Formats: sequence, C-alpha cells, structure tokens
Amino acid sequence: MIRMLNRGLLAALLLLFISTSVNLFAGPKAKQKTAADSGSAASSDTYMGLTGEELWSNNCLRCHNIRPGTMYGNAQWDVIVHHMRLRANITGQEQRAIVEFLKSSK
Amino acid sequence: MRKIRRYSLAAIIQIIVLIMASSPTRAEDPTTDGYVTRKEYDELKAQLLAMKKELDTLKKEREAGPKQEHTERQVVVGPHEVAPSQGEAVADTHKQVATEAPPPVVEAEGSLLGTTKFLLAGWAEAMYEQRNGSASTFSASLNPIFLWELTPKILFDGRLEIEPSGSGTNVNLVNAQISYLFNDYIAFGVGEFFSPSNVFVERFEPQWINKLPDRPIGVYQGVLPNISVGAQVRGGFPIGPTRVDYAFYVSNGPTLSTFNARTAGELDFSSYTDNNDDKAIGGRVGFLPIPGVEVGYGFETSRPGFQGTAFADLRALVQSVDLEVTRNSDLLKGRVNLFAQYAWSRVDHAVYDPDGSLGFGPLPLTAKRDGGYAAIAYRPTQLDIDLLRNFEMVFRWDHLSAEPSGLGDPSETRWTIGLDYWLSPSTVIKAAYEWDKPNGERNRNALFFQTAMGF
Repeated sequence: MIRMLNRGLLAALLLLFISTSVNLFAGPKAKQKTAADSGSAASSDTYMGLTGEELWSNNCLRCHNIRPGTMYGNAQWDVIVHHMRLRANITGQEQRAIVEFLKSSK
Repeated sequence: MRKIRRYSLAAIIQIIVLIMASSPTRAEDPTTDGYVTRKEYDELKAQLLAMKKELDTLKKEREAGPKQEHTERQVVVGPHEVAPSQGEAVADTHKQVATEAPPPVVEAEGSLLGTTKFLLAGWAEAMYEQRNGSASTFSASLNPIFLWELTPKILFDGRLEIEPSGSGTNVNLVNAQISYLFNDYIAFGVGEFFSPSNVFVERFEPQWINKLPDRPIGVYQGVLPNISVGAQVRGGFPIGPTRVDYAFYVSNGPTLSTFNARTAGELDFSSYTDNNDDKAIGGRVGFLPIPGVEVGYGFETSRPGFQGTAFADLRALVQSVDLEVTRNSDLLKGRVNLFAQYAWSRVDHAVYDPDGSLGFGPLPLTAKRDGGYAAIAYRPTQLDIDLLRNFEMVFRWDHLSAEPSGLGDPSETRWTIGLDYWLSPSTVIKAAYEWDKPNGERNRNALFFQTAMGF
C-alpha cells in the first residue's frame, strides 16, 4: 500500500516538473502585477495583483471557453460564478472580482 | 288593402322607435337597480380624468429620471471609472429615497422576483456513433442543471440526465448538493456530488466542455469514483504568487465484487448506498504554480467488502494524478490545452470463492487496476479569419488495464483524433475517429459526430 502511495506521489511530482517545463516555452504569461503596481489598497475587482478580467480569463479558460458578460444578466452571473467557485475551488475574493468584471463589461 | 298594409308597417316602426327611445329614459331613473345615474357617471368620469392626468405626470417624471441620473454619474464618476460597491450603492439609495424619482422598471422587477436567485443551466447533445462490431446508432440527451442561490452563501445545485432509451426515456439524478460558503477559503457541501478525487468528472464531463464526443475509459470504469454521497469541505487559498486548492470528503464507499468470476476484486462505484459502517474518505489537492497550469493529486480510501463477510476488513485505495495546462502561444497563433490524468486502484489480498461453490475459485488475488488519458487540443484563436479561428483540433490517448481477476475484459488502449467547430463559446460540432484495440480481441474502431450546446 505504501509503495503504491509513493508511486502516486512520484507521479504528481513528475507532473509538477512537466508543468513548470511547459511554462518555459509557452507563450506570454498572464500579466501578474505586484501589489505596488495596483496600489496599496486593492479594490474588490482585483486579487493577487490580477484584475477581474484576468481572473475570469485564467480561471474559466482552464476548463472551457469563456462566455462574454453580455450572455447572462447580473443575477444570473451571481449564481453561475457562485457555482463555479465551488467547482473550481477559487477563493471568495476571486469570485467577487470576476462577478464585478462580468457585470461591468456589459 | 295595400294602403292598410302601409299604415300597419308605419305603426310597427313607430312602436319599435318608441321602445328604443325609452331605454335612456329608464337609465336615468334613480329608482331603477343595476344602472348608474347621470350624477354617478359624471363623478366617475371626473375621477378617470384625474387619474389620467396623474399618470401622465408620473410618466414624464420617469422619463426625466434616468437622464438626470446619467448626467450626474458622468460628472461625478466618469465614464470609465469603476462603479461603487454594492454596499455604497445601497447606502446612497437609502439617503436619497425621500427625494428621488421612482426606481427604474428593471429594479422594480428585481424586487418583485425576491432575493433568491434561480438559474436553469446545463447542456444538450445529439450524437451519431458507428462502432465496429456494434450497430450504428443515434443518441441524444438533455442534462439540465438546477442552480438555486438561496442567499449569497447558500447554493443548491442539482443535475438530471434525461435520455431516450429503448421505447422509453431514462431520467437519472446525477447530483444534488446543498453547499454553504463558510468564508473566502472554505465551503461545505452535503448531498450527492461529483467525486473530487476524479477531476475529469468534476470539471470536464459536460459535452460542451469535453472536446471529444466520448469520454476516456480510464477514469470511468472501476478505477475511480464518479459520484459520491456524503459531505465535503473544499476551497482554495494563495501561497505567495501561487495557489492551492483542496477538496476532502467522507461518503458511502464502493462495493467489492466477489460473486462474479469476471469482475472479482473489482470496485463497483455505481452503488450509492453503502454496504458497511466504514465510510470512504477521499479528496484532491491541486497546485497552481502559475495561472493556467494546475497539478493535482486525488485519493480515496475505503473498506469495500460487505459487512460480516470475510472481505469486511479489506482496504481499498485509489489514487489519481492530473495535469491541466492552458496556454496562449503567439508562436502557434492560438491556444493549447493539455489535459492528463492517470489513476490506480488496489484492494488488499483476498481469496475469492474460497470453497469453489461459485465455480471459479479459489482465486487468490491482490486486485489492481489502472487507467488514464492524455489529451492535447489546439485552437488558432489568434488568426484573423473567423472560419479558421472556430476550428479546434484534438488528440487523445486513453487506456484501461485488464480486469483484475484476469478472467474478464482485457486491457484496452485507444487513440482518438477529432475536429471541432465552435458555433458559439458553448455550442460545438464535433467529428472524431477512434482506433480502439482491446488486447487479443477484434478492433472496435469508431466514427463519431456530435453536437453539444451548453446553456
């Protein structure tokens, strides 16, 4: 059992190595602003130096095509992003920033 | 004689005219029931005119309201600045409620709908499959997802799978979960949910998300759980510039197959009720070193044997590793997705059919099975030609090892190539060809066409 557990963890480490390697030759990185760039008091539509738009793009595109803000109403976006927060394990700050971006992008 | 007839006709007409003329006179009679008097009629008319005038005034005020608000907003906030937060907006509304014009129609409708939010989402699909050794067939399904946000912290989500089968229609409850957001990093859920240890099922199963018409065998057949009934805690949190996400759960566990020669030692995840008091414990931890890249490790440990039998103390462990990479490449003028997952299951050593009464024992066995897939997709999102930009090419390898008893299905490896055309961000037409060669058996190569629409 322990030997099998080790094999799983070894595979996880291998995938981590592959993922960082992929990053070396992949295209442009998503813009990662520092806290200083975005100002000392981050507004609710930014998180970890990323804007709501960047968080929307980074998180949603991981699994599926992104859908424009105009596709749903404000109340619908509240429900959809709430649901997606649970599915994709994003944080509450990311959820709020994404919702705010989607509502303002109409 | 003719003259007499003419006089009679004139007399009849006169009588009719008199009867008709008497009607208004009766209406004005104050003593007659069921009719209004002239006075009442005039009063009602005056009231109607007053109401009409008041309505016209309200209409004019409402038309003037948004224009004034828009002008003020441009002066104070500016066209490109971020709108005030919801809390500020609510406070401002309270301050101005006495002087402002009536709210816009949209707000009025929102308040009429109440504070809960309901959304019917989901997807529909239609497919044609032509597989070697099987009759070609069309199939279709509707998968509605019911989302009900009772408060900003409480959400119900439930999914049905409705599909025609034989001469009837199958309706399955796929999941039904109530979740509660405890804080920004922790959420709780109870009910029937997608097993967090199986990332494909949780994230890529909807056919408008899955880039190929069929699903990888390795993550569906006996190696990993798909649906769990129990409770879970999940969330994500940052560590410096990176992020970690997690999900841990306790649920009814799988059932160990012990009576069938072909499937002996195999874990059956399709039963939603438990066969003993020991509950399965599982979870997944994901690490996102950079945006668009995630590496995950999932597991589930359980006692799958029936309570009170010789198999009751056996322990099963399933593990899974996964990788998801989504990158935009200027060099390739498009987006590249790389998805991979591999899983192993193991059940402690046991002797199946020890006395041979079932006709295949004694069969000593440490049951092991593994399977997984790797898929790469490319879509030229940076091309200027719409037609080409909507195409996406997909290639997948997937594998499932033989059933652990050695008496059942052999190992199976498939290679699939597909071409998708996106009509909208969530509507796709797919075509794919699959080379499917179970070990030692004739091929089961297949051709697929599928349309899927997410809504």
